[in-house]
Amino acid sequence: MPPRTCALCSTNRAMLKRPKTGQQICRECFFYVFETELFKPGDRVAIGASGGKDSTVLAYVMKTLNERYNYGLELFLLSIDEGITGYRDDSLETVKRNQQQYSMPLKILSYDELYGWTMDAIVSQVGRKNNCTFCGVFRRQALDRGASMLGVDHIVTGHNADDIAETVLMNIMRGDIARLGRCTSICTQGEDTIKRSKPFKYAYEKEIVMYAYFKKLDYFSTECIYSPDAYRGHARVFLKDLEAARPSAIIDIIHSGEAFEIREEVKATQKVQQTCKRCGYMSSNDLCKACTLLEGLERGMAQAGITDRGRKKLESEGPAPENLRTIPFYQPPSAGNAAILLEAP
Amino acid sequence: MAESCGNPSSEQDALMLRRSKFDKSNICIKCKVNPGNVVIRHAVIASAECFFPLVSSKFRRALVPAINPGPIPDTPRKKKGSLKAAGNLCIGFSGGLGSSVLLDLVTESYFPSENGNTKGGSDHPRHHEKVWDHGTVCYVEICSALPGTRDRTEEVRALVSEYRHFEFLPLRIEDAFDEAWWAKVGGRGLESNMTVDLADEDLILSQSTTSDNSVAALHSYISSLPTQTAVPSAIQTLIRLLLLHTARSTGSSHLLLGTSLTSLSVSLISSISQGGGFVVREEAQEEWQPTVESKRTVRVNRPLRDIGMKECAMWAWWKGVHIPGKENYLGGKQGIGALTKNFIVGLERDYPSTVSTIARTCGKLAPKDSSDSSCILCGRPAQPGKPDLASPPPHLQNMTPQIPPVAPASQSSLTPRLCYACHTTLTSRSSRGSTASGNHINSTPLPVWVVSELDGVGHRKMGEKEMKESISEYLLE
Repeated sequence: MPPRTCALCSTNRAMLKRPKTGQQICRECFFYVFETELFKPGDRVAIGASGGKDSTVLAYVMKTLNERYNYGLELFLLSIDEGITGYRDDSLETVKRNQQQYSMPLKILSYDELYGWTMDAIVSQVGRKNNCTFCGVFRRQALDRGASMLGVDHIVTGHNADDIAETVLMNIMRGDIARLGRCTSICTQGEDTIKRSKPFKYAYEKEIVMYAYFKKLDYFSTECIYSPDAYRGHARVFLKDLEAARPSAIIDIIHSGEAFEIREEVKATQKVQQTCKRCGYMSSNDLCKACTLLEGLERGMAQAGITDRGRKKLESEGPAPENLRTIPFYQPPSAGNAAILLEAP
Repeated sequence: MAESCGNPSSEQDALMLRRSKFDKSNICIKCKVNPGNVVIRHAVIASAECFFPLVSSKFRRALVPAINPGPIPDTPRKKKGSLKAAGNLCIGFSGGLGSSVLLDLVTESYFPSENGNTKGGSDHPRHHEKVWDHGTVCYVEICSALPGTRDRTEEVRALVSEYRHFEFLPLRIEDAFDEAWWAKVGGRGLESNMTVDLADEDLILSQSTTSDNSVAALHSYISSLPTQTAVPSAIQTLIRLLLLHTARSTGSSHLLLGTSLTSLSVSLISSISQGGGFVVREEAQEEWQPTVESKRTVRVNRPLRDIGMKECAMWAWWKGVHIPGKENYLGGKQGIGALTKNFIVGLERDYPSTVSTIARTCGKLAPKDSSDSSCILCGRPAQPGKPDLASPPPHLQNMTPQIPPVAPASQSSLTPRLCYACHTTLTSRSSRGSTASGNHINSTPLPVWVVSELDGVGHRKMGEKEMKESISEYLLE
């Protein structure tokens, strides 16, 4: 049998089968794909920036390493303005200062611009209970849409080890099997979504604070004024207690999350990923969660996207009116989408 | 009324209404006739008429599919037919609520009634051939590991004597270091006396010339552990292995534990918090095989896994089940288990569905890789791949001591034979460094089953050739 050539360079003789992909590749290509797993030269990378400590440190570290090791990355700051007066407007000021300090282009995308609703308006309709559901769903989609507008290949977020461990626990307690299966991945990418990474997956929150402190970084430090999520609060306190008793507990929880997966029989019962019929964003139902929530808000039935009872009530009221405000159709990421206005430094 | 983050004097919705304790009415949701006496999660269940059958049926639903030999079906057993276990029955008795209720339920369901009870119809297992020929109640006394606690063996013996079908088999936690006990349960004779250096993160093994008595060895082992959190984990592992080896030696095909739904959720979260994600399935149910050569397995089952702590307490209260009580070894504020228990019990009060959600979610998980080896200390499957590949990136290893570098070639290390969770137990430091206080930290005795496995087995650094062999399936030439 003639020697096989490398599946990547088609030149050298294949020396190994890559365990992750099964590709037969040569040694040099293996080194290359291994070393450039996360980024490759010329990548356009958006840093999810809230102005908080994690994203500020992330922006600083990304810029520092990019320059020190000549990664050749094109870095952007991407901020989502949820429209929370007295909280986000202040933190965005920090992001704008970061833009100048780090000389990075900044794009701010607001909920108001994208969904026609600010969080202040949402809270005035739904109250404080469940408002985090709206914010979380809207933010995830807004980040992808903002990244698509910037024409970036990759979004990096400042989730740290404490966040990941907390998410593992929360997903177990909420029974969110789908998220539990993927929340410990350092890098995730669906078919139609932009690659997302959490470079601080193994970095303890305390170290991030220490880094910001010793580097004298400029960050904003206040809890969201609409976050009475008592349930997550319990998990956070528990995690802090665990860490105090045994500092390795955080990394041990992440290790646990990496060691298990969803059983095959359970996977088979999960819904297939499709695109939202209304806005084109990825969804496991005909309508994505953001469109469902938005329709509920627009029709004055905010519970429609939260409870089964609310959804049934909405359905019993008949189909959505023709003039219903909807989310702009999602443009899958491509470099050609990059012609947008950035914030002036 | 509970206060959220807002100011209740100026903001109307800053006060969140407390949920009512039950969903709709106070009529029993089972019979829909009688007023209820107990609130279980969000629903109301009436007293004896509905409560006892409900608990009994949950108990049997969890146990019956696992009784006959062969694979355990995922769906509840529908086919009528004889129930016959492959061996005897061993009940792990702690003296706590769960195991006391378990003993009562097993006796009621599977052993002939003491007062000629003919309830349950002609198909009731009680009226047929015995499911298990012989039953043993095994109790592990842990007072030697916990200074200031009392020996409860006689109290437990008195309780078990009320259940005439069961033989009482008392153990002591120091048996884990006792060669005589090891020989009694059929363990291989120990040729050497291996100890481990817990001060060295390589966990270097050495031969010891002296031999402590079992109590002294237990004390050395406990006092050499690097953190206070490691003590409850170590005690738990010792109890588990003592029960398993005893179950095997009594010819038991089943080891039943009185883990309630609440305790199971605590165990699951506690195990995950200590890096035991790979064996999350074993926390609920496991098939234990002492050695690869041995074909006889012990099936560990927790038949109360669908019954909450509150239901167990109601059962014990209404049935007058005597509970001897047990020592709390979970470690107070310093123990992962104790912290988890406080957390879960608190959650169960405010969010009653969470406990069952945790158990159900973990029931949908499986290890990412199959395992062909087991941890020498806890006997559970070990994650394949060398520990250093499973550990976080190198820059983190200094901060949170995980898997240390392999020991020099001339020395043997325990590390390659341990699972991640056991390795963490033996090496993780607290934020104030090691809290080990023993004089034997450099030559800490090991449990007899570990010494037995290590006997005659050399450990060395992995050479280049062996390293190549471990990745050979991916190499093309």
